Amino acid sequence: MTLLRKLLISANLLLAISILSWLGTCVVQARETDKHVDFATQVKPLLARRCFACHGPETGEGGLHLDNPQTALAELDSGLHAIVPGDPESSELLTRVSSTDEFMRMPPEGEPLKPEEIDTLKRWIEQGAEWKKHWAFIPPKPQTPPQVKQTKWVKNPIDAFILADLEAAELSPAPAADKRTLARRAYFNLIGLPPTNEELDEFVADNRPDAWPRLIDRLLDSEHYGEQWARHWLDVVRYAETNSFERDGPKPNAWKYRDYVIRSFNEDKPYDQFVKEQLAGDELDEVTQDSVIATGYYRLGIWDDEPADPMQALADEKDDLVSTTGQAFLGLTLGCARCHDHKVDPIPQRDYFGFVSFFADVTSYGTRGDENSNSQWTIESEETRKQRQEYNAEIGKIEREKISMEEVGIKRMSAVDQRRSETPERQELLDDKLEKFLNDSEWKLFRDTLDRLNEVRRKRDELPAAEAVLALARCEPQPEPTRLAVRGNPHVLDEVVEPHFPQLFNIPTPSIPTAKEEAHSAGRRRILADWIASPDNMLTARVIVNRVWQHHFGRGIVRSSNNFGELGDPPTHPELLDWLALWLIEHDWHLKPLHRLIMTSNAYQMSSAGNDEALAIDPMNDLFWRFDMRRLSAEELRDATLVTTGKFNPQAYGPSFYPQMSAEVLATQSQPGQGWGESSLEEQSRRSIYIHVKRSLILPQLAAFDFPDVDSTCEARFVTTQPQQALTMLNGSFFNEQAQYFAERVRATSSKKPQDQVATALRLTLGREATQDEIRSGVNLMNRLRKMHSQKPEEALRYWCLTVLNLNEYVYLD
Amino acid sequence: MNDKSNSSGSFCRRTRREFLWETGCGFGGTALAALLSADGFFSRPQQAVAAPSAAYHNPLAAREGHFAPKAKSVIFLFMYGGPSHIDTFDYKPGMIGQDGKTITVKTHGRGGHKNEGRIVEPRWKFQQHGECGKWVSTLFPHLSGCVDDIAFMHSMTAESPIHGSAMLMMNSGKLQSGSPAMGSWLNYGLGSVNENLPGYVVMLDPTGGPISGAKNWASGYMPATYAGTVIRPEGSPINDLSLPAETTRPMRREVLDTLAHLNQQHHATRTDQSDLASRIATYELAFRMQQHAPEAVDLNQETQSTRDLYGLDDDKTRNFGTRCLLARRLVERGVRFIQVYSGGAHNDDNWDAHGDLVANHEKHAGATDRPIAALLKDLKQRGLLDETLVIWGGEFGRQPTAEYDVGTGRDHNSYGFTMWMAGGGIKGGMSVGSTDEIGSAAVDDPMHVKRLHATVLQQMGLDPNRLSYFYRGLDQKLVGVEHVEPIHQIIA
Repeated sequence: MTLLRKLLISANLLLAISILSWLGTCVVQARETDKHVDFATQVKPLLARRCFACHGPETGEGGLHLDNPQTALAELDSGLHAIVPGDPESSELLTRVSSTDEFMRMPPEGEPLKPEEIDTLKRWIEQGAEWKKHWAFIPPKPQTPPQVKQTKWVKNPIDAFILADLEAAELSPAPAADKRTLARRAYFNLIGLPPTNEELDEFVADNRPDAWPRLIDRLLDSEHYGEQWARHWLDVVRYAETNSFERDGPKPNAWKYRDYVIRSFNEDKPYDQFVKEQLAGDELDEVTQDSVIATGYYRLGIWDDEPADPMQALADEKDDLVSTTGQAFLGLTLGCARCHDHKVDPIPQRDYFGFVSFFADVTSYGTRGDENSNSQWTIESEETRKQRQEYNAEIGKIEREKISMEEVGIKRMSAVDQRRSETPERQELLDDKLEKFLNDSEWKLFRDTLDRLNEVRRKRDELPAAEAVLALARCEPQPEPTRLAVRGNPHVLDEVVEPHFPQLFNIPTPSIPTAKEEAHSAGRRRILADWIASPDNMLTARVIVNRVWQHHFGRGIVRSSNNFGELGDPPTHPELLDWLALWLIEHDWHLKPLHRLIMTSNAYQMSSAGNDEALAIDPMNDLFWRFDMRRLSAEELRDATLVTTGKFNPQAYGPSFYPQMSAEVLATQSQPGQGWGESSLEEQSRRSIYIHVKRSLILPQLAAFDFPDVDSTCEARFVTTQPQQALTMLNGSFFNEQAQYFAERVRATSSKKPQDQVATALRLTLGREATQDEIRSGVNLMNRLRKMHSQKPEEALRYWCLTVLNLNEYVYLD
Repeated sequence: MNDKSNSSGSFCRRTRREFLWETGCGFGGTALAALLSADGFFSRPQQAVAAPSAAYHNPLAAREGHFAPKAKSVIFLFMYGGPSHIDTFDYKPGMIGQDGKTITVKTHGRGGHKNEGRIVEPRWKFQQHGECGKWVSTLFPHLSGCVDDIAFMHSMTAESPIHGSAMLMMNSGKLQSGSPAMGSWLNYGLGSVNENLPGYVVMLDPTGGPISGAKNWASGYMPATYAGTVIRPEGSPINDLSLPAETTRPMRREVLDTLAHLNQQHHATRTDQSDLASRIATYELAFRMQQHAPEAVDLNQETQSTRDLYGLDDDKTRNFGTRCLLARRLVERGVRFIQVYSGGAHNDDNWDAHGDLVANHEKHAGATDRPIAALLKDLKQRGLLDETLVIWGGEFGRQPTAEYDVGTGRDHNSYGFTMWMAGGGIKGGMSVGSTDEIGSAAVDDPMHVKRLHATVLQQMGLDPNRLSYFYRGLDQKLVGVEHVEPIHQIIA
């Protein structure tokens, strides 16, 4: 017996033990034995993961391709049938996956299928081995909210969908959270900041029946709402302000794209418009300053200013756009089809290049010598533009008057001078002699005209300078045909691929007009944008409602929110997802009403408390029987601390700021300090979304708390728990400085009594009254620090404040 | 780490998926239990959280690889800037007497593609050393004594002759940033046996970091847990590790005790939330790190003869020697992957000899020769070399011809260059692959950087073609999607 084999067996044993001990789950499984097996969510992903490597679309060992029914049901090279619908006994697939002979058993590598997986396959074959399309590739259907028993709990249709599944599992929804918990939940969720004590008290005291929706509306109206929700979108579009690679040079004006996103959320811009602006803001019927800035989307990625292989680098830039766009807007991992047909999803390589072809007019970010022409677009407001035109017209008019007056004088001059007036010496001549050849009133009129001219010129020059923004400043209106790159290699090109939508959507190929000679762009992206932002697109609305849900509940209905394909996670509530998607479209793609709808459901207002029965049956909370507790994000933690200590600077929008970084951290750069500026302390107290995002120098404090890698799209942040976080919060300069400010604030707002100071610090941090035990703990700590460690009272208080900022209750939200 | 991985716990889901996808790797008993519990399999409410330390499931908990490892740790001596192979270990006798001759040769470097150039004859004499009779230039009088422990790969190739992308390729296998570094992959695959120290340590040159800085040791699409940690020989060894000036350790203890008490109370009503228990435990872990990390970097514990061996008595070698000695101490403490940079910043602060080849290489070889030889000897005499894989090399080599009309400077060369490995189950006294007679390109058995990566994973007990991480709809691997073979010739 090989070592590997032994290890496998011990692994099996342990697995078996863990499954046995997993009683609750077994109950669920037992209940499922006669249940209908869903091919799309239960069988196909299993086949894809465990079988397709050898028996998929690309390779069909032994003549078996399991990716489609025609081949899967056919006779094999061996004369046997892998799958005989309705007859598990005759299905070779089942015989092989359940074999105990290691040479017979499939798959040959890796863990054998789990008993419940084999059972799923068996039941599926018993039930007729029906092949169904993947759920996400069927357009959403109108859904009627299901009937439930506890009708009282249903506030809106969302609750009906949630409750129906809970009732089927014989679970009850958790009771409602208390008002303080709810308020903190809503504040962090919508604006990313904690409520003040006054705001909390006010809400708790508000007994009107609509106190809760009022609070939601007030928060949705806050400018901070856009800041909080923009950050989620910035994760998805890999927002950063530098290019990475050797120089990691700046992307000037990237912050204007960030501001555009914040503004779009605050204005409740319809999502379809938001999509169109980013993908084709330069090609819309009405091109606005905002829509131009939105095309900065194309300029956010990494860019190699000195590529070893320029053609490869250009292909990589396009790949970044296809991958990001596919995942961000459609939940499709199109990037997987760059080198070959997608292994699992029905995305042939041609579809990848069809998408590339839509982006054919997108130029590279720049060249090493010129980083601006392609990416910096000079724009001005409509008003300024008109004003400038008017001033220019007037200047022209006055200049003509001036010239005609000069001519009066010139005509009186000698022939030699008249000839000179037609040469570059004209001005010199006029300066010398014009006054002599005009009479007093003529001279005065001339001087007045000059004054008028200068005045208008001055006004024109004082107009706001045309503004540069990061955008698709230069495109290729007549791009070269896009060719399929063999195995993804841009040096080995094959057939021309016209822009077309991925075949899985079953949409006719759009006709692509040829752009005019003088056109700015090719007009292809507009076609793509219109299609993605269309209510008929079966993925777009689902993908965005899922993201919104994710950021309310901590996870999407589809957990893999960038991947709705067959390797993604199936939706836990598919009908609810479809219902929400259609609801959004009916409500003109506005997100604020969607937030309101979700937050006013009872599902959102549940407590996060556990209960043994539910934990046993559904430990992952797949069914939403409670609200999931969550840790604050890196930015929320920093921003909340600024608010708590009283240092918060709420100034919204504008260029990014540079938090102070230690010399040790800067020393990791090849030129320490390069590309990192200095900002005033006041600036440094602004929200974290305004921190300059330099790809090679992420603020360690943010990185420690799972700020995402900004080189590619991030669907959901990690939530790690690691010692570096404790070091950051106890030893790092930010938290120590803030603890100092916090202590000053506590001293200023509380009496001198230690117990009052302790309680005040807790109330300001946690939004609730301290318990007697907590007060004792705090006072005790301060006493010991004073008596046994000779600390002054202010110092002792500072340590208490630091302690409070480190509390789990502060860092986690119920 | 967190049982309740449903709250945006994609990390945990991914870990389990990883586990489910590739358990063929045969994780051993304890390791499996750790993985399972890390992933919620054991999250029975009745089991929840007796002592916080028991509840912390360290994502870096040690786990077994796919098969029995030959090496337990890696020390990567990164000669940043790109040392010239033909002036160091790749002996080209045919070039002797050819200096100044213009020849036809295809090169690609910082200065672009060229088809001819003026030969710069290797500037150092070569001599044979060891039982294997390896030719080594006089740049390495000490290291040449170790050749019988070393396997030289003379036919390395990389995809870029430009520092930034070439560094990323050497560190992460990709020309673009955003992918995890080799050290991240090892910590992901194997965890770390010492939870009081980071599992992946980087030590930089005093002149500064390499081009692209932290991108070179980033964890890319993996959690930051797997990213490299910069350790400094002086000052606070790890960022934010030291207590603030006015805080004493007993005072910190007071704060921690109070914090633990309050956090326990908060947790008492939320016993199923193991994240909370984990976080309580990390404060104790951090407290222990504060004790262990400074101890790990405290060279006063070393004897004078050891310190002298590494060249700590000489200004020229003290810096790099200190870092080599630290590397050995970290290996002894179970750190999985240690990267030591020779050279930093720009121009002649590293091996990037565009101007004066002689001055540049004398300087950097002079600073590193004795410490590297000391490291190999010291590891060997302590019985550690067998389980420590030492790698030497830069992001590329240098061209046989001159970069400018005058002078000895050489441009970058990724068509062929030399790296070497020692220890960790690598055969000594070996040379594999070769470049052409002037060292312009690999001709015999060219070895892409990915094969070096595959070899490292293989020696560490991980199958390079199976160690994968699900991201963006794909099983991502350090060596990429195509099958990559380790360099079998050098594996003992």
